[in-house]
Amino acid sequence: MRGYAVRRVLLLVPTLLGIALLTFFLSNLTPGDPADSYFSRLNGRSPSTEELQQVRVELGLDRPFAARFASFIGDAAQGDLDVSFSTRQPVAGELLRRIPFTLQLAVPAAVLALLIAVPAGVLCAVRRNRFTDQAVRLLSLAGASMPSFWLALLLIIVFAVKLHLVPVAGRGGLDSYILPIVTLAMVPAASLTRFTRSTVLETLNSDYVLTARSKGLGELRVVGNHALRNAIIPLLTSFSNSVAQLLAGAAVVETIFVWPGLGKLVVDAILERDYPTIAGSVLYAGITFAVVNLLVDLAYAVLDPRISLVGRRR
Amino acid sequence: MPRSRRLILALVTLLVMAACSSSDDTATGTGASTTAALTDPAKELRVGFTEDQYVLSGPDTSLAGYPLNTNVYEPLILMGPNYELKPLLAERWELRAPNTWRFFLRPGVKFHDGQPLNAQAVKTGLFDRVAKRTGGGTIKSGPNAAVVVDDLTIDFTPTTPNLRVPEQIVHPQNSVEAPGSDAGKKPVGTGPFTFVEYLPKERIVVQRNEAYWGSKAKLAKITYRFYPDSNARRLALEAGDIDFAYLIPGPDVQGLKSRGFNVLASPVGAYTALYANIHGNATHDLLQDVNVRQAVATGIDRKQLVDGVLDGQATTDQTMIPPGALGSAASTVKGFTYDPTKAKDLLAKAGWTAGGDGIREKAGRKLKLTLVSGFPSAEILRPIPTFIQSQLKLIGVDVAVVERPDSASYQALITSGDGDLYLEQGNQNDANAGFLPTLLFFKGAAGGGGSAPYQTLFAPGPTFDQLLAPAVTEPDPAKVRQHVADAMHEAIDVQAAILPVAGNFRTYGLTKKVQGFTPHSSFLSVRWEDVGLTA
Repeated sequence: MRGYAVRRVLLLVPTLLGIALLTFFLSNLTPGDPADSYFSRLNGRSPSTEELQQVRVELGLDRPFAARFASFIGDAAQGDLDVSFSTRQPVAGELLRRIPFTLQLAVPAAVLALLIAVPAGVLCAVRRNRFTDQAVRLLSLAGASMPSFWLALLLIIVFAVKLHLVPVAGRGGLDSYILPIVTLAMVPAASLTRFTRSTVLETLNSDYVLTARSKGLGELRVVGNHALRNAIIPLLTSFSNSVAQLLAGAAVVETIFVWPGLGKLVVDAILERDYPTIAGSVLYAGITFAVVNLLVDLAYAVLDPRISLVGRRR
Repeated sequence: MPRSRRLILALVTLLVMAACSSSDDTATGTGASTTAALTDPAKELRVGFTEDQYVLSGPDTSLAGYPLNTNVYEPLILMGPNYELKPLLAERWELRAPNTWRFFLRPGVKFHDGQPLNAQAVKTGLFDRVAKRTGGGTIKSGPNAAVVVDDLTIDFTPTTPNLRVPEQIVHPQNSVEAPGSDAGKKPVGTGPFTFVEYLPKERIVVQRNEAYWGSKAKLAKITYRFYPDSNARRLALEAGDIDFAYLIPGPDVQGLKSRGFNVLASPVGAYTALYANIHGNATHDLLQDVNVRQAVATGIDRKQLVDGVLDGQATTDQTMIPPGALGSAASTVKGFTYDPTKAKDLLAKAGWTAGGDGIREKAGRKLKLTLVSGFPSAEILRPIPTFIQSQLKLIGVDVAVVERPDSASYQALITSGDGDLYLEQGNQNDANAGFLPTLLFFKGAAGGGGSAPYQTLFAPGPTFDQLLAPAVTEPDPAKVRQHVADAMHEAIDVQAAILPVAGNFRTYGLTKKVQGFTPHSSFLSVRWEDVGLTA
C-alpha cells in the first residue's frame, strides 16, 4: 500500500504542473490588463500610459509569459506562491489564513449532508415507491436542482430579515454559521440521498440479502449489516467528490454570506485579475482533490478486504 | 477498534481540529481587550461598506484610509460635501511662485501614538510616502519635493508644474501617516478615531480618539463590515445587523424608505456619460461626423431615463464634472435637450436616410453603432445601455450593446478601438475640476494628459486643449473652474465628443437612530465625528 501511495503522490507532480500551466495560460488570455485593474481599483480612474507602465513593472508583468511561469514554478516548489496583485501580501500566507474559514463551513456541511442523506436514502430504499419514498425523492430533487444563491437568499430573507434569528451575513457568533452551513449542505445532501437510495436498493436485491432474510434476520440487521455496508464503497466515492468540492471552497455561498474563505478568495482574484492568487488557489484545489481521492482509494482497501491496491505477484 | 474505524476517526478528528482552529488571531490591531472595553451599544455604530479593497503592504498601503475612510487619518486640507476646501491639519496655505506650496500646520496636533504633528512628520508621513507611489500620486511628489521650513511650516514643490495641489491633496490617499508606523498592520494617524482591529474581508473596527485635537467624536466605536453584494448590504440593514449602509442602489431606495429607513443622497459626485469615438478606424468611423454625434445626443430623453428608469436616483446634469466642483461656471455647459425631430433632421443632413427596417442607411451602409459599457462595471450601468438602444432606434440608429464585467476588460476595448460609444460612470473624488478632462482627453503639452488610449479615440481637438491648458497653470481656482467649464462646453456642446447622460449622487441608508450624518459627494471623504446614535 505504501508503494501505491508513493506512486500516487509522485503522479501529483506532473498533474499540478499541468494545472499550473493551464491556469497561467488561461489567466493571461482573459481580456483586460491586471495592471489596469490594479491601478483603477486603487485610484478610481484609468491610468495614464506612463502610470500603466510603472504598475506593469511593479507587478512584474513586463516580463515574458514563459519567464513569469518559470519563476512561478520555481518559487512554488519552495512554497512561495508569489505576492497578490490586490493586497501585495504573500499568496501562500493568504491561502493558509483562508483555509480554516473554509473548513469551518465545509466540515459541518459535509457531516450534515451525510447525516441527512444516509438515513433518508436508506428509508427511501426500504419504503420503495411508498409515500415516504416519493416525498423524500421530491425533496431531494428540489434540493439538487435549487441554485445555491437562490436558496441562500431565501434562507436569509426568512430567517434573518423576517424572523431575526440569525445574521444576514458575515462571520460572527455560532448563529452566523447556520445559514451558510445549511446552504452548503443542501446540494450534496440531496444528491447523496438519491445515490444512497439507488445503491441500497441495488444491494437489497442481491442474493446475499435474500439469504440473510431467508435465515430469519430482522429487517434492521439486514439493511444495516448487509445492504448498507455493501453500499458504502460507491457512497464513499460520491461523498468524497462533494467533500473535495467543499474543501476547495464554495465560491457562491462564501460570496453571498461574506465568508472570507477560499471560494471568496478565488472569486475576488478572478475579478481583480490577480494572477498569482488565481494560480495559487487552483493549485491548492488541485492538491485537495488529489489528496481526497488518494485517501478514498486507501480507504477502499481498509473498508473492503476484497480490494487490493498492490498488484498480485506471480 | 477495527482499522477502518480508527482511520475514519483520525480523519474526522483532523478535519474538526483544522476547522476549529480560530483564525481570529490573524487579525491585526490592538485586539480583543480594547474591543471589550467598549460595550455600550448605544455608542457603537455598525456600518456596512462595499468590498474590502485595502492594500496591506508596499507603497500603495491603504489600510483604514482608502477606499473606506475610517477617519483614522486626516489630510492637510479637508474637502467638504460639495467640493469646498476647509483647513484641517494645515491652518492655511499659499502659493510661492512659480510652483511651490507652503503649508502652515496646525499647532498642538498629535498622532495617536503621541508623536507631535510637525513639518518633519508631514514630510515623512505624507510627501515622502506619496513620492514612492505610482507616478507620485495626483500631487506629483518626488524624493526631494518637500522641504521643512520650520517646525510648523513645510514647502512642497511638485515634480511637474501643478497649481492644483490644494484641490488634490484633499484625497484620502494624501493623508498624513505617523512616521515610523506600520501602516499595513496598525495605522496611526491624527484623526478623530483610532484603529482597533482589522480582519481582512470581514471587518475593521475603530474607536474614539480621546486625545483628538478637535471636537471629540460622539460615537465610542465604529465597526465597519464589508458586504460586497449590494443586496446583502441592504438586507443586513433591514435585518438590524447594521445601522448604516453605503451606496444603496437606486431601485432599493423607495423600498427602504417605505420600511422606515432614512435614505440620504449627497450632492452630485459622479457622472454617467457616453464618450464618442471620433477618431475611429474604418469599422468605427461613423461618429467622425459631428451631425451624427449631435443626433445621438439629442435623441436621448434624459428626463425619462432619470425618472422612469433610474427611479429618480440621478439628475439630468450634463456637465460631466459635478456642478459642485465647477461652481458658478457650471452654467457655461448647456448640454442637449431631447428633440427626436431635430435628431432625425441632423441625420438627414448628414446623408442618412431611413431604410425599410427603420434603420438609416447611406451608400448601402447601415447606421449601426457599437455601445461598449463597462466602467466601473456593466452591472452598475444597467439598464442604461438598453434604454439608449431603444431611444436611438426611434431615430433610426441601430445600437449593438457590448457589456464588459469590469474596468480592465472595458479598457481593453478602448485600447483596441472596437466601439463607437463608450459608456462610463466616473467619479470626482477631489476638488480639482480639471482632473478628469485633463487625464482623459487633453493632448496639450502643459503637464496634462496621459491616458493615451482615451486620447486616441476621444480627444475633442486643439480648441479643447487650448481652453483647458491654463487649468494646470492658473493659480486662481475660480478662473480654473471657468477654464474647465469652457473646455467642457467645447467638448460637449460644440464637438459632441462627450455626451453626458446623467449626474449621479451617493446614496446612504441608515436607521432612524443614526443622527448627524452629512452625505458627502465623494464617499471617500465621509466624516464621522458628528454622527451619533439616539437611544
